Amino acid sequence: MSSAELTPDAPRRPFTGRRVRPGDLILQLVAGLAAVAATVLVGLITWKVVEGARPSISEYGLGFVTDVVWSPAAGHELYGAGSFLFGTAITSLIALAIAAPLAIGIALYLTELAPRFLRGPITALVETLAAVPSVVIGLWGILVLGPILRDHVEPALHSGLGFIPLFGTPSDSGSSIFTAIIVLAIMILPIVSSISRELFLGVPGELKEGAFALGTTRWEMVRGVVFPYARGGIAAAMILGLGRAIGEAIAVTQVIGGGVFIHWNLFSNGDTLASKIAASYQGATSKLQVASLVYLALILLVFSLIMNLAAQWIVRRAARKQGITPQGIV
Amino acid sequence: MSSHGISPTDLSTSNLPRRRKVNLAMEVLATLAALIAVAILGIVVWSVAKRAAGALDLDLLTKDPVPFAFGPVKQGLANAFAGSFVLVGLATLMALPVGILVAVYLTEFAPPSVRTTVSLALDILNGVPAIVIGIFVFGLFVVGRGQSGWAGAFALSCLMLPLVARATMEVLILVPNSLREASLGLGVPRWRTTLSIVLPQTIGGILTGAVLAVARVAGETAPLLFTSSIVGTQTSWNPFHALQSIPVAIFELSESPDPQDHARAWAAAFVLLLFILFTSLGARWLATRSRRRLSASR
Amino acid sequence: MPKSGNFTRRIVLASLAATLAVVAAGTAGAASSKRSATTLSGAGSTFVQPLVSQWISPLASAYGYELQYSGIGSGGGIAAVTARTVDFGASDAPLTPDQFTACKGCVQIPWALSATSVIYNLDGAKNLLHMNGPTLSKIFAGQITQWDDPAIKALNKGVNLPSTKIATVHRSDNSGTTYNFTEYLSSVSGSWKSQYGKGVAVNWPNGTGSRGSAGVAATVSQTPGGIGYVDVAYALKNHLKFFSMQNSSGKFATPGLKGILAAASSDQKPEATTNELSIVNPPKKFPLAYPIATYTYVIVPTSSPKAAELRKFLFWALTKGQSYGPKLLFQPIPKSVLVVAEKTIAKVKPAG
Repeated sequence: MSSAELTPDAPRRPFTGRRVRPGDLILQLVAGLAAVAATVLVGLITWKVVEGARPSISEYGLGFVTDVVWSPAAGHELYGAGSFLFGTAITSLIALAIAAPLAIGIALYLTELAPRFLRGPITALVETLAAVPSVVIGLWGILVLGPILRDHVEPALHSGLGFIPLFGTPSDSGSSIFTAIIVLAIMILPIVSSISRELFLGVPGELKEGAFALGTTRWEMVRGVVFPYARGGIAAAMILGLGRAIGEAIAVTQVIGGGVFIHWNLFSNGDTLASKIAASYQGATSKLQVASLVYLALILLVFSLIMNLAAQWIVRRAARKQGITPQGIV
Repeated sequence: MSSHGISPTDLSTSNLPRRRKVNLAMEVLATLAALIAVAILGIVVWSVAKRAAGALDLDLLTKDPVPFAFGPVKQGLANAFAGSFVLVGLATLMALPVGILVAVYLTEFAPPSVRTTVSLALDILNGVPAIVIGIFVFGLFVVGRGQSGWAGAFALSCLMLPLVARATMEVLILVPNSLREASLGLGVPRWRTTLSIVLPQTIGGILTGAVLAVARVAGETAPLLFTSSIVGTQTSWNPFHALQSIPVAIFELSESPDPQDHARAWAAAFVLLLFILFTSLGARWLATRSRRRLSASR
Repeated sequence: MPKSGNFTRRIVLASLAATLAVVAAGTAGAASSKRSATTLSGAGSTFVQPLVSQWISPLASAYGYELQYSGIGSGGGIAAVTARTVDFGASDAPLTPDQFTACKGCVQIPWALSATSVIYNLDGAKNLLHMNGPTLSKIFAGQITQWDDPAIKALNKGVNLPSTKIATVHRSDNSGTTYNFTEYLSSVSGSWKSQYGKGVAVNWPNGTGSRGSAGVAATVSQTPGGIGYVDVAYALKNHLKFFSMQNSSGKFATPGLKGILAAASSDQKPEATTNELSIVNPPKKFPLAYPIATYTYVIVPTSSPKAAELRKFLFWALTKGQSYGPKLLFQPIPKSVLVVAEKTIAKVKPAG
């Protein structure tokens, strides 16, 4: 819930015309300080990241964002975010493309089809998937998923669909963009699903019954009533999921293999903005390299903020329309 | 009526068999999707459990790691468990009071414009990727000073703050105004009303928020990677030094070539998973309970 | 208050108790931080990590020092000690003049000597297949892509090599082992030198990147057809196969103690202020030399609050510590280098 609105019931300004006790002032001050601290924290984070990136910004300017190079060789240092931006885009977008239909399907199942006694348990199970830490999914990705993809799935896809450049030569080690995509899809599935579920639950019963009264099948009702009603919210859910995928560093760096190139082959290795930072920041020696990595973090910050705010805004709008406060939106 | 997706042709009865088939296909797909989700969770949890079984013993919690041991040596991840305990505990100590106070300020005192700004700040904070928080805290506390448990705990608390604040706000709003009015009408000062009358009503919700936040950060690796990762092998409870943590330990072990290391990683992952599952599910159960109670009392 | 308030009250008390317990534990730990005066923290090279790990308990018994070492790669070690977030750094790649300046008064001391093995994972193949520099550089440059390439077959007459694809594995982090490996490739291949050069990180044209020597060992062992480079201790510990490398005199040498010692004889004089030594690709007159051997250095600030402990530790490492090396294929440092190293330790003085 993005909490700018309170229900009509909530109190407003401190009461006027009433004797103000010192205790009141103290509480207001202390609580106010906390609020100030929270706001200042955000500003501080932004400032520190910008400041840390400055040497690289002044060296490369905005061209950094599109340059496809990352050469830490002493004497020929040259850095650019291009290949990581590509990696972030391709992994997150495809992961969303996989996860979103699944998530909506799950939400539909839980709201329309599941028998009453199953709804609670399955909802809990899906939310549990959200609670699995990324390092555990990454561990599973390296040791279980990777080998399966490398030995069975990728060769099959390559031999069947190899004419599409996306399915080029299978990876050697199981670490690849493809593995990262699957891992990300698993991680964003619960987010999109639980938000969609809340949205579908919020569709007014009369609208649905009205459609049924007209003789529609359940699917037609969903397509004609639920989807249009929840359209904005689903978009927000997908944007939130995308934001989550973009920011994921740990699980991705564990399974993506590390590389600085732009290949269309999903089975090759690569890096995303977040995974590159996780892999290289601690070992960065030259000032320019550190600044360039923080520059990557700045780009990442800007993108995820835009996504997060856009999604929250859409959700807030939709919630206001429907008069509900969607919960569970992380 | 927003059902502009239904056209007259949809409803034509001559189409009915086809429409029924499409409906059936969609229902099957939706059910399949749910099955896939459950299956994925099942596979991941079962993978972890199966592989953890061999290495899951008391040594994991009581013995420290022995890197590069030649030959079989009893070792575990005691330092990681101790460290996680301290890191998460200190993070909660930092985030909980501030989060509650922010929520109190926003619901009880703030004028609408301030409320919007601070809420926006909280939302932004929630959207910052954990790895960026790690870089931030590194630049703030680690450079020149060295890594420490305090730095790691602070990084975790940055992640917890929005969650705690939001959860607290949600329940504060649910407390009926009539309660506040009644208390003030009896002459109880504002501050006493808030602290002794309003807040106690929300303890359940606050706890839920806190527990969910703990469950969230217990598994976070990125914020600790640059703030509390250069650690020794011996168990330490001293937050003035970098402390090992379970997620970072799993991260490091996952990249090792040694199957023994992998086994310990699985075991630690299993314990972590159990902890997070119990706390998340428990918190949500608490939340439904307290929300039901609060709404019923309105 | 409603009856269920008792329930919530109990939970509140329980969580308060738990939090207090944590705070108590933390403060107790902080109070007992007298021990921290004898904690020596270091970070860096994963190459030397096997040896340093062996030092932890004997050092504790000898002086009561708690040694904390984290293998984050040589680059990370240099960065950490420069930022003074650790007491000492470890790097297999010698510091550049810029890095010396940035480190503000650090000294570099060679404290261990070992070799980089070139590991491979090929089903059914025996250990110690033959390899030479030019072929190896073509493999990592992506010009040789299969195990049954004529160049590899020529080196291994009589061995049945399958047509498996070669999957190269390199370090994704700033690594001294990469420096050693690429220094070797640059010295045996002019085209490698001009195209990729040597460094803690280069623009690998292909292959998987893994963090740390452990990461490379892990990836190679999980990748059929994989070839990578790690400190030989990792190959030993994880039962990985490695090549027998052809040296300048045409002989094939293994990264064992003899090969390392012979390589070390090719450069016995550390450089004037930097103490740098280069023993890669020794010339013909060292027929037993393994061509990819290297010293590894500890980087210490000359002015440090832990100067006294550091001096004791380093002295111990250079003398007693070397005896833990041979079983991990770390050759004890030759006398000539030891003398210079000990003189450098004397430069470490207390701060202020």
